[in-house]
Amino acid sequence: MGILYGMVARGQVILAEFSATQSNASVVAKQILSKINQGSDDTNNDSNVSFSHDRYVFHVKRTDGLTVLCMADDAFGRMIPFAFLEDIHKKFVKTYGRAILSAPAYAMNDEFSRVLNQQMEYYSNDPNADRLNRLKGEMTQVRTVMIDNIDKVLERGGRLEMLVEKTSAMNSNSIRFKRQSRRYKNNLWWSNVRLTAALIIIFFIVVYIILAFICHGPLLSSCRR
Amino acid sequence: MSFQDIEAGRPFSSRRGLMNGKQDPTQAVAAGIFQINTAVSTFQRLVNTLGTPKDTPDLREKLHKTRLHIGQLVKDTSAKLKQASDIDHHAEVNASKKIADAKLAKDFQAVLKEFQKAQRLAAERETAYTPFVPQAVLPSSYTASEVDVGSDKSPEQRALLVESRRQEVLFLDNEIAFNEAIIEEREQGIQEIQQQIGEVNEIFKDLAVLVHEQGAMIDDIGSNIENSHAATAQAKSQLAKASKTQRSNSSLTCLLLVIFGIVLLIVIIVLAA
Repeated sequence: MGILYGMVARGQVILAEFSATQSNASVVAKQILSKINQGSDDTNNDSNVSFSHDRYVFHVKRTDGLTVLCMADDAFGRMIPFAFLEDIHKKFVKTYGRAILSAPAYAMNDEFSRVLNQQMEYYSNDPNADRLNRLKGEMTQVRTVMIDNIDKVLERGGRLEMLVEKTSAMNSNSIRFKRQSRRYKNNLWWSNVRLTAALIIIFFIVVYIILAFICHGPLLSSCRR
Repeated sequence: MSFQDIEAGRPFSSRRGLMNGKQDPTQAVAAGIFQINTAVSTFQRLVNTLGTPKDTPDLREKLHKTRLHIGQLVKDTSAKLKQASDIDHHAEVNASKKIADAKLAKDFQAVLKEFQKAQRLAAERETAYTPFVPQAVLPSSYTASEVDVGSDKSPEQRALLVESRRQEVLFLDNEIAFNEAIIEEREQGIQEIQQQIGEVNEIFKDLAVLVHEQGAMIDDIGSNIENSHAATAQAKSQLAKASKTQRSNSSLTCLLLVIFGIVLLIVIIVLAA
C-alpha cells in the first residue's frame, strides 16, 4: 500500500489534489479541511495532526497558512507521510510563490497533480525515502548475504569431509603399498640367496665328478696317496 | 474656544485643584490619536508593499514592530480616554467639554477600525499574522461610555487572556503528542535495525564456529597427505631395491642353466664313448 491521496489547500480552497485509487478520499479530505479551519483560530497556524478514518489515516500539516494533506494506509506509520507532506510543501511554495495567496480553486491542479503523483510513488515504494528504511533494507541485505555465506561454508564443510575421507583412504593405501613393496623386496632377496646357494652346491658336485674320473674311482684312492 | 478655556480655567483653579488635571487627559488623548493615525499610515504603506519584489524578511520584521508600536499607542490612549470619561461623569463640567471628549472617542474608534482593516489586509497577504481580537473590544466599551461597561472590561480581558493561554496549551499538547508519535515510530525502526544487527551478529558467530571446525578438517587433510607422501616415498625406495635384486637374480639363473648344459653335454659324451 502506501500514500494513496495527496492535496494542497489554502484555508478551505483546494489548490491541487491527486488520488491514486477510486475512493471517497476527496470528500473526507474536504470534511477534515472544514473541521481544521473551524476548530482553530489564526493564533495556531502551524500544526501536525493525523485523523483516522476506516482503514486509512489522514495526515495534515499546516504551515504558514498552507495546508498539505495526504491519506495513507494505517500500517504505513507517520514518518514517511509527514516527510512527504514537508517535501510537497517545499515544492509547492518554491514553484508558485506568492501566487498561492490569490489563486482560485484548483488553479494548480493541472501541473502539480503530476508532481503529487511522482512524490506519492517515490515515498510509497522507494526505500530510500526514509533513512531508517534504507538502513533496514541494507541490514536485510547483509543478513541475506551472511545466510548465503553460511550455506556456502556448510557446503565447503561437506566437501572437506569428503576430502578428509579420501585422504585417509589414500594414506591407508600408501601404507599398504609400502608394506607390500618391502615384502616383495624380501622375497626377491631370499630367492637370490637360494639361487646363489644352489650354484655353489652344483659347482662342488661338478668338481667332485671330474676328480672322480681323473683319479679312477669314486673314493679318490689314487689321488689320495 | 481656547480663549474660553483659559477664561473658564482661571476661576475654577482658584476653587478646586481638580480642574488643573482635567485638560491634560483630553490633550493627551488628542495627541495619542494623532500618533496612532501616523503609525497606521506607516503600517498601511508597509502592507501595500507585501506581495511586491520589495517584500523581504526585514520588511516583515518592520511590519511586526510597527504593529507592536500601534498596539502600545492604542493601550496608552485608551487609558487616557477612560480617565477623561471618568472626569466627565463626576465633575459635571461644561457641555462643550463633554462634546469634545465624545468626538475624541469617535475619532479613536474610527482610527481603530482603519487599523483593523489594514491588519486584515496584511493577514490576507501574509496568511501568517493575526488581527488583534482584543482591540475590537475597546471601541465598543468606549462607544457606550458607561462606567459599568468600563468595569466589565477587566474581566473580559482576563477571560480573553485565559482563552488564549488555554489554546496555546492545547497547541503545545498537540505538538507534544505529534512529536511523541514520531519518536515512537523512529524508536520502533531503530529497534528493528538493532534486532537485525543482533541476528547478523549470531550469523557471524556461527560462521566463525564453522570456519574453525573446517580448519581442523583441513589440518587432518594435510597430515593425511603428508603421511601418504612419506609412505609412498618409502615404498618407492623398497621397489628400487627389489628391482636391483631382481636383476642379480636373473644373472644367477642364466649361470645355473649354462652349468646344467655343460654337465649334460659331458654325460652324453661319456655315454656315447
